[in-house]
Amino acid sequence: MSFRRSYFVLRLPSVNTEGPALETLTRRLAECPAEFLAAPRIGGTGTVRVAAVVSDLLRDLGGQPLTTAQASIFQSRQPRLDRNRLSVALLACWLLHDAWFQSRRQHAARALTLLTEGLNEAASATPADRFVTDPDRREELARLCLRALDLRPGGETIAQAQDRLATLNAAERQRVIEAAREAEARAQAIREAMRRRQIEEANAKAMRE
Amino acid sequence: MDIPPDVLHRFPLLDLAAYERLRWLEEHPAAPRYTHRGVDRLTPEGIQRVAAYEAALSAEPRGWRPGETPAWVMDFAAECFRDVPAYRAFGPLPPALVDVPTTSRADLSRAPWEIVPDSLPLDGLTVFQTSGATGHPLNIITHPEALAHYLPHLRAALALHGVALGASPESNVALAVVCYQAATFTYSAVSTYLRHAGLVKLNLNPADWRDPDDRHDAAQRCAAFLDACRPTVYSGDPVALAELANLPLAAQPAAIVSTSMALLPGLRQQLEARFNCPVIDIYSLNESGPVAASEPHGDALALLSHRIFVEILDDDGAPVPAGQRGEVTITGGFNPFLPLLRYRTGDWASLDLSDPRQARLRGLEGRPPVSFQSTAGLPINNIDVTAALKPFALPQFALHQAADGALTLRLPLPLPDPAPVLAALRRLFGEGQPITLQPFDPASAGKLIQYSRDSVE
Repeated sequence: MSFRRSYFVLRLPSVNTEGPALETLTRRLAECPAEFLAAPRIGGTGTVRVAAVVSDLLRDLGGQPLTTAQASIFQSRQPRLDRNRLSVALLACWLLHDAWFQSRRQHAARALTLLTEGLNEAASATPADRFVTDPDRREELARLCLRALDLRPGGETIAQAQDRLATLNAAERQRVIEAAREAEARAQAIREAMRRRQIEEANAKAMRE
Repeated sequence: MDIPPDVLHRFPLLDLAAYERLRWLEEHPAAPRYTHRGVDRLTPEGIQRVAAYEAALSAEPRGWRPGETPAWVMDFAAECFRDVPAYRAFGPLPPALVDVPTTSRADLSRAPWEIVPDSLPLDGLTVFQTSGATGHPLNIITHPEALAHYLPHLRAALALHGVALGASPESNVALAVVCYQAATFTYSAVSTYLRHAGLVKLNLNPADWRDPDDRHDAAQRCAAFLDACRPTVYSGDPVALAELANLPLAAQPAAIVSTSMALLPGLRQQLEARFNCPVIDIYSLNESGPVAASEPHGDALALLSHRIFVEILDDDGAPVPAGQRGEVTITGGFNPFLPLLRYRTGDWASLDLSDPRQARLRGLEGRPPVSFQSTAGLPINNIDVTAALKPFALPQFALHQAADGALTLRLPLPLPDPAPVLAALRRLFGEGQPITLQPFDPASAGKLIQYSRDSVE
């Protein structure tokens, strides 16, 4: 049992410390300025150099700026692979730049871990703009950030914080699964229509020439 | 006389006069053995929509100012991000088009169904395959109505030269598409959109025209049929057009349209002299349909559609400064099943935006640039090779440089006098340049990779 107990603790951070009120953070996300919503610089496109934004944030949180190796995680030449991940990282930077976090001067290391790997799952499932426009996704991102910093929203118990984040995650996972199922059904219908119509390829050629 | 049901199935809007024309084309004593039967299932509503598109195409600008993105482009991009699975996967729509990831032929080849908008019904969906000369065979998903949009673009290209295309008492056929291939798809049809004007697609290869009674040779039989058709316009690739020029034709078209391959000025001039009509070079892609066409004067290609936005990009996907060469990248198109968003065509050109109502492509070359090396070790751009070969009436050619610097020039049979061609290349590469001449049969060559070079370690 003791093994199970320690395993459980490792998987779910304890969120022991009270952080800022959730509403403060969700409002901050809703009011995210255009600079943090702009396209990340990837190859020759985009405007925001994410590594520089992360570096500034870490300094303002009381830590060291990024090393070259750390910065490389926020630099990319593959827009389709990395654009959403870097866009979500930018939103998290905006959120963690709140005065509450800056004044504590102790969250830089955990913030770096969050930005480096803690947002990948969320970014793979949800377009970055929904973390600004959708109230549930705003709350999810705020709670994800707090959890990564071992914090819970001000005024909530540990159990409340863990339950609410799990509920939000489950709802989003369900949405993603539904969307994937619908997308596959549509793709299958198109593939079947293509197979049926391939025999009429001749007709298509006749009309385009 | 009734129209047989199988014919009405292929041409639902056929009337008796049009049926007579179709029968004439199918049963003419000099007609070739068609490989397929023609078809045109455009609906009355479809005709109206294509006509509305053509009216807009004629009225709206086909250009923009440098640094500007026409308003429709971002609306189109927003619709793509909302409704198209492949684009939705990019994440949120960036505020500027330049920040939208680019797409390539490989993307379309891998999963064409991911480009089809979710909101489109699949009724009437049609598929055709392209050869994949660039390494990625494509299944193009389309629709009879989308296919009918080729005609307004063809008419826009002809209008640049003052030529009209439609049903005419002077012609039995509005458009004759000619090929010269070992085997290809041939048919005769009437065009619903062109008020049932005749259309034929023919293979000029003598094998398609052998007279069973052996009374005439293939060229005479082919010429007899084409003269009876009196096409308003001939369309084909330069290889087929060079063959067409050799036929003993009496009827004169109003224009000739060259597609699919680069048309060298030497051949264009030869065709203009032979047929005494304008010869129009059209840049067209299977993915987008016709993009641009040559004008009566100058060597630029004018954009044909008000719903195609062209960017010229560098390797990183960033726009190059105005007038600089880069990869032609297309947004828009008329096929609702294949909305193109920053689609990298693999072709290279520069963009001339000096007239905000009419954008033009300059120096168009298929595929990325190839840097050759002279005997003195200096780099030679493939554009310079094209320029050196401009005076010659070569319907097709390919130049390859081996790692040791030796050149292989591939030219189609029947070979022209090679001496002036080789001399032109040696003036460019150096007098001591080794060049091997390699003839090929154009009927079986397919599309050539025009310029290539072995990598040098």
